[in-house]
Amino acid sequence: MNLQFLKAARDLSSNPKKTLLVVFALILGIWGAGTVQVSYVLLMHDLQANYQRTVPAQVVFTSNDFDKLNLEQFVGKPEIEAAEFRDFSLHRIEVRPDVWIPLWLYGVENFNAMKLARVFREEGNKVPLRNSILIERDGKLVSNIATASIPRVRIGNTIVRIPVSGICFDPAQAPATQDAFIYAYTDKQSYRNITGMAVNHRLIVRLRNVHSMADVQKRSKALVDEFRTMGIELSSVEIPRFNEHPHQWQLNTLLFLIGSIGFLAMIMGAVLVSQLVKSIMAGQIRQMGILKAIGASRFQLFRIYVLMLLVIGALAGLIAIPASLLSGWAFAYFVAGKLNFNIITTTLPLSVYITLILASLLMPALLSVSILLKGTGTSVREALSDYGISQTTVGREFPFLKTLHLSERMMLAIRNSQRNMSRLTVTVFAMAFGVAIFSTGFNVRQSLWELLTGYKEEMRYDVQVVLNKAISKDEALEPLGSLENVKQVETWIGGRGEIQSKILSTDKGAGIVALPRNTSLLKLTICNGRWLLPSNDFEVVLNQQAMELYNNPPLGSLLPLHIRDKTINARVVGMTRQFERAKIYADKEQYDALLNHDHLINTISFVAKNNDYQKVIALKKSIEKAIAPSGLDIAYVMSQAERVKIIYDHLNIILSVLILLSFLVLLVSAVGMASATGINIWERTREIGVMRAIGATPNFIYALFVNEGMITCSISIVLGLLLSYPLSRLAALFFGKLMLGNDAELTYAFSTSGFFITLAVTLVFGWIASRIPAKSAISMSTHAALSYE
Amino acid sequence: MITLKGVTKVFQTKERSFTALNNINLTIEKGEYVAIVGKSGSGKSTLLNMITGIDHPSEGIIRLNNTDIGQMNESELAAWRGRNIGIVFQFFQLIPTLTILENILLAMELVNTIPKAERMNRANDLLLSVSIPEQANKMPASLSGGEQQRAAIARSLANDPAILVADEPTGNLDSKTAESIHSIFRSLAKAGKTVLVVTHEKDSTSRYDRTITLLDGEIVSQESEIGAL
Repeated sequence: MNLQFLKAARDLSSNPKKTLLVVFALILGIWGAGTVQVSYVLLMHDLQANYQRTVPAQVVFTSNDFDKLNLEQFVGKPEIEAAEFRDFSLHRIEVRPDVWIPLWLYGVENFNAMKLARVFREEGNKVPLRNSILIERDGKLVSNIATASIPRVRIGNTIVRIPVSGICFDPAQAPATQDAFIYAYTDKQSYRNITGMAVNHRLIVRLRNVHSMADVQKRSKALVDEFRTMGIELSSVEIPRFNEHPHQWQLNTLLFLIGSIGFLAMIMGAVLVSQLVKSIMAGQIRQMGILKAIGASRFQLFRIYVLMLLVIGALAGLIAIPASLLSGWAFAYFVAGKLNFNIITTTLPLSVYITLILASLLMPALLSVSILLKGTGTSVREALSDYGISQTTVGREFPFLKTLHLSERMMLAIRNSQRNMSRLTVTVFAMAFGVAIFSTGFNVRQSLWELLTGYKEEMRYDVQVVLNKAISKDEALEPLGSLENVKQVETWIGGRGEIQSKILSTDKGAGIVALPRNTSLLKLTICNGRWLLPSNDFEVVLNQQAMELYNNPPLGSLLPLHIRDKTINARVVGMTRQFERAKIYADKEQYDALLNHDHLINTISFVAKNNDYQKVIALKKSIEKAIAPSGLDIAYVMSQAERVKIIYDHLNIILSVLILLSFLVLLVSAVGMASATGINIWERTREIGVMRAIGATPNFIYALFVNEGMITCSISIVLGLLLSYPLSRLAALFFGKLMLGNDAELTYAFSTSGFFITLAVTLVFGWIASRIPAKSAISMSTHAALSYE
Repeated sequence: MITLKGVTKVFQTKERSFTALNNINLTIEKGEYVAIVGKSGSGKSTLLNMITGIDHPSEGIIRLNNTDIGQMNESELAAWRGRNIGIVFQFFQLIPTLTILENILLAMELVNTIPKAERMNRANDLLLSVSIPEQANKMPASLSGGEQQRAAIARSLANDPAILVADEPTGNLDSKTAESIHSIFRSLAKAGKTVLVVTHEKDSTSRYDRTITLLDGEIVSQESEIGAL
């Protein structure tokens, strides 16, 4: 074996603790960054691939006049890539005894030739048996429903049993687990039989040569005009986000999160590795002098140590690369499961493997170039007289410390901790960064939590009943008159959530909520402008998603809204911040005067006298019971607690990943601190021997190093917590934009519990990080310490 | 032949400058066995460092076999040193993670003047010449001080240098072992190598061809076996 290689290998094996620590640090960095890289590649590609595999529709037209349309001719038009009827209606399905949730039922023209919005067979029949349905697979997670089960479904005012003849997969839908819906599909004839509704009312279309939402809007407008000339009046035109899965925002947030935190973990891992390699190199300076003295050139020395670092890199890579591939795939599967799409990639691009291998092999060498250049450039005389840490470097004296009457040991620890200022700086900053990220995780979590709390506070009602069709108030309230535990009832037209947007919306898909302007049941946070006031104008308040949809109309401007074939000019008076679909709020009195002359309503909100959770759930059940025999066509009955849970479920995955990843960053920084303390101890082994020789007890030495570690830890905590303030503000701003839209901000919030958890976790980490190397410092005998080179 | 002309070395610290060698003029002939003696701080190790190129003079010229070592950069100097000078240190300075045999082979590998095929035999011969052939495959830490110093001598001879310098080579050894080390040096000098030994053992100067005494960085006397020069 080449002796230079042999030397490199033996140097590494001669100090296994140090070598293992470097390898461990490297594994941590590569594993973190590798996991991020692998999952990023998979998720980034596969959500889109899943979504595109369905060939999603770009525009959805609804009309009662489509019998005037020759579909074959329409599809033959050069600008139309594909079009088919896909009828849709909202019903309710019993997912567990007496638990009903919304059912989105689609009527498919031909399961064997779906050109658009395709669904894929998972189990059971590909084509549902006559008068049966296929359930989207995510529905299994929120219900007891399976293939061959026959759940109860409420269609309008009747309850029927519909067999489930198979499970299908529709990756273009938002996950049922997060929205608490069930998606079901049946053929056109069965759709007609089950719902009793006419078919061919909803046309889904995919256009040729469109590259943006603006292109789709332009073409759609032309098609609307064309339909009009055919005598087809449209009741709605819905244009989903262009080429974007409904939950792309969640994935974007997650990817950004894991990308940035993974990057930070890698940087911190790199700092850690460079510190450790530096310490190994520091221990080799004398040997470099010997090698030079017996004829080694600088290049030869460089080669020996690069070889050594390559061995370290290869060792780390052997573990870290397979580990990162495994965890990357696992994380991708986890996220894909949460967002209901399949990981379809089977082979990662070669570039991923190459990057991982190169990172493993070259990272330690690249991080050590400066120390290698410095070490190999040291003169023989300097190298031979190198005994590690400078004996002449002492810490600064801080006069105020004298007034604290600290013990000699503490004073010594303070001085010692400053002996290698560059290492102290790197350690403190790395640890402070870990603390800042960890604390920021809690603060962002708090911001999101406050958003949720705000949402809860906005909704002052306890249970809401939403009807599929607007009816008169008397008719709606008739079956609900004898309920107990009801303090207040209020009726609206339109309402919160996604389903209402489907019941009453503008032609652009913004849900309309017309409610008494002085309602006490909804108190929105107005971030710009004001809430509705008595006015001669038709005043509206838009949430930030609606603002975005309507290209941010200035406050005070008149916004033409197309609702149910009518156009009304609405005065935009305010903007509200919500975690919600695009919504437009209007005064019901004004809305009724303009568009709802019969004063119909479709939303009934109940305030409970006793709003304890159990009492509210009991109220909800009594409402369900009351409406069961009635003729009311219910879209859903939902308690406020359930709605908050739905929103929470949307954010939960992000909150969990945020805390987990920030904890990992803190962990990496703690390992960094442990290694820095370890290096300090290794370098001062002889000094420890001297101290022991002049009477220092092992306890004194142990406490000295723990004190040194805790001093570093305390400085890091203070710095980290200070740093977390601007970082949290920045993160809140960013996450707000990502989740709530460009015009919304997530308000900065300080998490008190997060502060104390950060403080406690960091102190514990710091203590462990100091204790382990301090323990090893006292395990060596005085003789061994004195003769340590 | 080693020639030093007007060699001065000044160490500069923040607080002061210190002249370790002052205008040293010296010639050492091929095959001479020379001792450099002096009290601690007299400049003897600095002088040795100048001769081996481990350190550079502040002034003056140092020629070894007609080569001005002041003109070489660090890498050239390292290669030149490997071929021409064997160094023996007080604390042996063997590579702790290589066996004794490997230490010698590494010196050959680094300089690459001895053909590969001959290296193993040569290394074993060198170990035999310093009387530790049985220690070839042991790690330095498992050898006694005397054995380590013999190994260091064997390593210093790996590339058959013309000059051998030793910095207090017996300073860490007992008198019996020290005597055996000196006899190795003597035999090497007899074989034609120039041997320079830095020592503080003034009383044993009689074993050298010449003894150069330094005091405060200056040569105060040069004595040979046949009397003062």
